[in-house]
Amino acid sequence: MKLFTMTSVAAALAMSVSAGAQTLAITNATIHTATEQGVLKDASVLIKDGKIVAVNPAQIDAEEVIDAQGKILTPGFIGSLNHLGLVEVGAVDGSRDGSDKKASITFDPSLAFNPRSSLIPYARKGGITRDVIVPGGSEDIFNGLASVVSLSGEFDSVSQKHVALAIELGQKSKGSRALSMQTLIEKLDGHKQREKKDSDAHNREIQVLDAVFAKDMPLLIGVSRAAEMLELLKLKAKYDINMVFAGAHDAVLIAEQLAASNTPVIISAMDNLPGNFDSMHADLANAGKLEKAGVKVILTIAGDSAHNLYQLRFDAGNAVSYGMSQQGALAAISSNVAEAFNIDAGAISAGKAADLVLWSADPFELNAKIEGIWIDGEKVSTEARQDKLRERYTTPSDMPRGYTK
Amino acid sequence: MLTKTPSLSVLALAITLAGCQQSEGPQGDKVTINKNPYPSTYQPLPRQSTLITNATVLTGDGQRIDGGDVYVVDGKIQQIGTDLQVQADVTLDAQGKWLTPGLIDVHSHLGAYPNPAVASHQDGNEMTSPVTAEVWVEHSVWPQDPGFNRAREGGITTLQILPGSANLIGGRGVTLKNVPAHTMQAMKFPEAPYGLKMACGENPKRVYGSKGVLPSTRMGNMAGYRNAWIDATEYKRAWEKYDADYDAGKNVQAPERDLTMDTLRGVLDGDILIHNHCYKAEEMAMMIDLSKEFDYHAGTFHHGIEAYKIADLLAENSSCAALWPDWWGFKMEAYDMVQENVAIVDAVKNSCAIVHSDSDTTIQRLNQEAGKVMYRANENGFNIDEAHAIKWLTSNAAKALGIEDKTGTLAAGKQADLVLWDNNPFSVYAKAEQVFIDGAKVYDRHDEKYQAQSDFMLGQR
Repeated sequence: MKLFTMTSVAAALAMSVSAGAQTLAITNATIHTATEQGVLKDASVLIKDGKIVAVNPAQIDAEEVIDAQGKILTPGFIGSLNHLGLVEVGAVDGSRDGSDKKASITFDPSLAFNPRSSLIPYARKGGITRDVIVPGGSEDIFNGLASVVSLSGEFDSVSQKHVALAIELGQKSKGSRALSMQTLIEKLDGHKQREKKDSDAHNREIQVLDAVFAKDMPLLIGVSRAAEMLELLKLKAKYDINMVFAGAHDAVLIAEQLAASNTPVIISAMDNLPGNFDSMHADLANAGKLEKAGVKVILTIAGDSAHNLYQLRFDAGNAVSYGMSQQGALAAISSNVAEAFNIDAGAISAGKAADLVLWSADPFELNAKIEGIWIDGEKVSTEARQDKLRERYTTPSDMPRGYTK
Repeated sequence: MLTKTPSLSVLALAITLAGCQQSEGPQGDKVTINKNPYPSTYQPLPRQSTLITNATVLTGDGQRIDGGDVYVVDGKIQQIGTDLQVQADVTLDAQGKWLTPGLIDVHSHLGAYPNPAVASHQDGNEMTSPVTAEVWVEHSVWPQDPGFNRAREGGITTLQILPGSANLIGGRGVTLKNVPAHTMQAMKFPEAPYGLKMACGENPKRVYGSKGVLPSTRMGNMAGYRNAWIDATEYKRAWEKYDADYDAGKNVQAPERDLTMDTLRGVLDGDILIHNHCYKAEEMAMMIDLSKEFDYHAGTFHHGIEAYKIADLLAENSSCAALWPDWWGFKMEAYDMVQENVAIVDAVKNSCAIVHSDSDTTIQRLNQEAGKVMYRANENGFNIDEAHAIKWLTSNAAKALGIEDKTGTLAAGKQADLVLWDNNPFSVYAKAEQVFIDGAKVYDRHDEKYQAQSDFMLGQR
């Protein structure tokens, strides 16, 4: 297969035309593609202008060639369902922008995304290269719009705006969950039956709902009980829209219906306690069971998933430990996320963003270390503020630590 | 609502002391305080003599024995070595498997903040006064918390349940054997000393500051502790005077009993161990001085996000530090996390580094929590092996709980609290296959007979 070759002259020419045009090849890698191709041994990948242009090209001709020496190369992992770049310190109100109790359908927290947050380089330590930031915590059932960010740390790192509309159903601290479901049904019904007007172009809410009905944007719904998910699947069929379920503790009870309706679920692999009466079926084996039933599983970190995002690979390892396939777990933190939210990344195949991680060992293992990480083809660092602190306090000095920088 | 502040208790004490005077006539019965009114009723589960052979044994005190055998009789480790020539009721071939002491979590709220985490189950913080040394968390423990079973499946054989951190002095902690039971007493670790929870920093000042009560600042925190210890010192003196006078044959009236002061006095007497939620370096340093001011031991620092900044000081003071590998950023005092915290604390001579959970989920994987520390530290200049890292979950944790003479290592005479792992326990894929407490099998991953289920979960699925 010869998808792309480039002579050095052409490369030089390309360089002169566009400063950003660069070619990089990573050769001799064990590529975990997160595609149907599975694992490719002694494989190479060619990258140009931030995109993967070929896997295993017949000829390697690139400005920079990295010999992976047989090590594992994976797509960069994609986090989801968190406030990365929207929070610095959880309990510091002024540093929190991921939620607003007045938020509704059009709330767009990506406007507050801070690419310079100290959480971002730290998350890169876990091989995370992209993330779906999702608002939460509105008094309305509509929490607002999810967006995709890259973890480059650059100011242009909101890479795709408005990839899902976030909705919270299920148990409420006051009142009935029925009212939440009813609100959603009425909103969808109302939108379907309304007459189009010229002023629609200026109405953000209508545009968002249009995007939902055009299947450009799934509803990302926090819901746990099987009965509620089944009710939602009826709506999904009725309106021919896309849905992603998050939490989904009862998903194992309706795995067949989820698979048949092509409804992905976002779960935490570590969730195995009955935190409330919606989560009696939380279990470490759920991820594997859902995978076997043909459900697209996406793994997310439970709890403070922004600060702890780097741990996603360990969650994937635990999912494998309890029955998920190795490749299924990889997909659950890369290609399945990309598919659910229409992200052009999350797999090692031609055309995808060159978000790549080279690992010293099995990437799900505690002992694995990152040997190289690229976002949009650019090499990025895993050094974080935490490393500076460690160095300060482990470097001998006669002077107070404040002088060690 | 009338809240009991330290200044009020000083007043109460002054009245009490005035009443402690000599009377005419013969002595009455001596007044003594029962220090164990809710005694353990723990009984080991049915057990047999057991020989585990050919395991990679991590003893918990730094040793590793490849192809190791452990022989257990009457709930105690009888022999440990290689090629043991002994007869046992049960022999387990552990070829390819790893054997460690049962894991100990020094910081758990299981039972007190159980699952389901509904409002009626929030029994871990008596948030009505900044000093509530009178509460004992054992009185909140719901033994049917499904989390106990999940923790056992992760190899936890012993755990300390602590009250929460809303209060400056939050109450007594209790150490439990992680056996299924329907009373708290049946889980209580026999002869384990009580703990006393103290908390530094943001939580007490936030909880009480928002009520307009001291403390609303960190200096208010310090004043609150000091007032409490002043009261406790007077209380101890009054009782000691009473004991001495009575023993000298005088007819003296006993001081009035005070439940709060009983616990604080227990600390001053060295019977109760301090477990101090304290994140920051400068606060831990002050808590050590506080302990010296009132002549008790500062005990174990929990959640010391900044322990690495004062590793020397902790070791000098013989204080253990019970830490997370990587939690951070949830509040300001948790901002300066480093992934090598445990390893940096551990590297100092006479240190006592512990990996703890404070979580109903990571308690199920303390081995992985320790593994994260070991590997991150080794990437950054440390040279820590499995035999050493397991101490953070076993012998060091036992030391912090004052039970190091009973459990936490695999040595002849110790309680046979064991975990048989299917893999190197510092692998993400490792699972506890069998768990033993006092030589009795309490969990078997491959035998449903040994998989306990709480009343709450019964019939739910």
